[in-house]
Amino acid sequence: MVTKMTTQQEGAVWELKEGEIRQPGIVHVVMTALFTGVGIVVGALGSLSVPLGFISAFWPGQAIQAVGSIWYGMWGGIAAAVFPLIANSLSAAAPLPVSIAYMPGNFAQGIIGGWAFRFFKADPSLKTSKSWLVFTFGAIIVPNIIGGAWGSTVLRMFGLITPAAHLVTFAGWVVGNSVASWVLGAILLRFVSPLVIRTKAFCKKYWA
Amino acid sequence: MAPIIVLNNLFWQYEGQEDFALREICLKIEESSFTSIIGPNEAGKTTLVSCIRGLIPRSYHGILRGSIEVLGKNIADKTELELAKEIGFVFADPEAQFTAMTVLEELAFGMENIGFSLNEIKERLEWVTEMTNIQDLLDKSPFEISGGQKQRITIASMLALKPKIFILDEPTSMLDPLGKDQIINILTTLKEQEAMTLIVVEHNIEQIAPLSDQIVLMADGKVLKSDSPQDFFCDIEPLERLGIAVPHITSFASNLLDLGLYEPPLPLTIEQAIGPCRLILEQRGRE
Amino acid sequence: MEKFHSESIGATNVENLQFNVPIRRMRRTLLGTVPVESPLYSFHPVTRFFSLILLGVAPLFIDTPELNVLWIMLILLLMIYGRVDMSRLKIYVPLIFTVALFMFSIAILLPGEDPTYIPFKFMGITIYYQRIFWALVSYVRVMALLFGSIQYFLTNRETDMLVSLQTLKVPFPVTYFVGLSIRGADMFMQDMKTIREAERARGLDEGSLAFKDRAKLYAMYMIPLFTLAIRRADEIGNALFVRGYTFAGEVLGGGKRTSTVMNLYQFKVRDTFLCALQVGLFVTMAILQLKFSQFRIDHSPLNAYFLSILT
Repeated sequence: MVTKMTTQQEGAVWELKEGEIRQPGIVHVVMTALFTGVGIVVGALGSLSVPLGFISAFWPGQAIQAVGSIWYGMWGGIAAAVFPLIANSLSAAAPLPVSIAYMPGNFAQGIIGGWAFRFFKADPSLKTSKSWLVFTFGAIIVPNIIGGAWGSTVLRMFGLITPAAHLVTFAGWVVGNSVASWVLGAILLRFVSPLVIRTKAFCKKYWA
Repeated sequence: MAPIIVLNNLFWQYEGQEDFALREICLKIEESSFTSIIGPNEAGKTTLVSCIRGLIPRSYHGILRGSIEVLGKNIADKTELELAKEIGFVFADPEAQFTAMTVLEELAFGMENIGFSLNEIKERLEWVTEMTNIQDLLDKSPFEISGGQKQRITIASMLALKPKIFILDEPTSMLDPLGKDQIINILTTLKEQEAMTLIVVEHNIEQIAPLSDQIVLMADGKVLKSDSPQDFFCDIEPLERLGIAVPHITSFASNLLDLGLYEPPLPLTIEQAIGPCRLILEQRGRE
Repeated sequence: MEKFHSESIGATNVENLQFNVPIRRMRRTLLGTVPVESPLYSFHPVTRFFSLILLGVAPLFIDTPELNVLWIMLILLLMIYGRVDMSRLKIYVPLIFTVALFMFSIAILLPGEDPTYIPFKFMGITIYYQRIFWALVSYVRVMALLFGSIQYFLTNRETDMLVSLQTLKVPFPVTYFVGLSIRGADMFMQDMKTIREAERARGLDEGSLAFKDRAKLYAMYMIPLFTLAIRRADEIGNALFVRGYTFAGEVLGGGKRTSTVMNLYQFKVRDTFLCALQVGLFVTMAILQLKFSQFRIDHSPLNAYFLSILT
């Protein structure tokens, strides 16, 4: 599962080859839309299957957010911010104003992973221990801490939780998202990244 | 009449591939003709029509050599919108081409991109829905219709632009027999009634050959043969060696030809074979 | 209701058998199931979109639970008037109960501290009245907000949503993106259905699997689904290319882009009136609460009643 690769080999996936030109195009818009669609389904099904109110236990949608941003940079970040709004509306997991207020947190839950993989030049196929570490901390734990802090604060501001429950809600959010997303995200990155990297839509930088 | 499409010494290599997908392609297609492109899998048929449409190299990375001229102009000098107006393209998978919420939106989308007015759009919608028999489907969503209906809708959405050149890449490959027949009927109508240049990539030679003015055989990235149907099928053995399914009646007549009982040209349809076969039987009867 | 007599189905030797078949014609959308015919469809999509803003957001300004209960009843009446299949609301029942459980549990177990809280005992547990009542206020408000959204999605097709956005002059790249996302979600769901049916055809019985195994199964579905989505992205990108799609929605020769589907709807005088009414109501409610606190808890008769019992 984990192989020895040099840092250079591992980071090569993010480097532009000599003479290579990558530009944003229709395929990026399409991929963002499809990923948003994927997120809508995964997010809505996840909320419906184990509903616990605004913090649906084991919400796998964060995996889509993280993986989308790792593969597609800012396009994935856009999808990460948008799809929960529609998914929450479909599954009635959160009222519309709350979903809108969630958006910056959702964006963070996606883009931080995308940034981490590019900054640390980690392999999106999770072939090395370094990439597993970056995935676990940079794409799952840290984004969910930030997303959970934002989201629980939103809930408190809307009066949906008491101040005394803020910490518990935050902890539940972080754990609930992280567990489900770690499992799903690892599967997707491990088995689907090799295919994605070969496509035109894969973003070595943030927009192309 | 000058040919509408001219491919001159065309080469194309996909990024990351060692071999060229297209090699030394020199081909001319006449205006208002019906050209069929056949060949085994991986012959380069889709790549060829993608080059004509301008999908290659705009949507794919790779190395392109040679020239592609459409309507007297190099394709590289045309904008995306000009290409959309002049060359229609239908892909094999109807599912991946239906991007709108309803059939009406799908039909109108291309026309809106070209910039037609509402009245123009309405007129064309009326014409094209009648041609493809989808009048009752306008309000339907993509998941309320079958694959065959989706493909007819895709053809209609491209036809509505009234392109000068209409390319269909394996339009029947994902359809059931009824769906296939419906598409062939549309192609037959287009050939008879419209002055469009039609280019069809197909494995279903049985039904396509009688419609064709020119048949192009491709294999291994090259054009092996390009002839009128009568000349194309005069020697079917090389075709059968390549795995090309020759029309049954043509194969039957070819066997008769080998026995000295039939004279060229070989028929493409049963109707074409009836007369000569009757003569053979009458002669045998007299003998 | 339509009655079918036995003869019409060929059962001639079984007499006087009548089958009462309720015909409530519904149409599936990604966003839900909407009635094929509804009096609500005579209103322009933008009018219905404003109802989403009013019904799905305005409860934020209401603290008095009685008013939000009335709000929910109004929404339910609107759904009935709109010929919504009310049995569709069944899927939200678990959510309704779990949200209540969550909110009231938090109020009981983690009430926080405040000297003004009035404690009372219930089954041996000390509960603080203000916290419980506030949980009730929030719960009813959340339900009102949720039902406001649910009402919208059960009475509007995807096209209606997009037309309302276009009417409000939302830029083409955004409206097209939203439409394509919805279509993408639908494609993804169809693919998922196909894969599950293929698994069942091979003898897989999901119902007999433990939760852990089912979770694993769903995770593994993701791989073929994502590979399909990735392949589709190229194909859809090509399909858009051949239709002359540009990101900004430019048209050949410049000029204004026609919207065919927008022209199917007529914005009538009563739509103008209703939109103005809904906006006016929203603004009025906001001012009444934010400036004059007209909907605060103190004005709740129920609150007054409970306080009179406790104090």
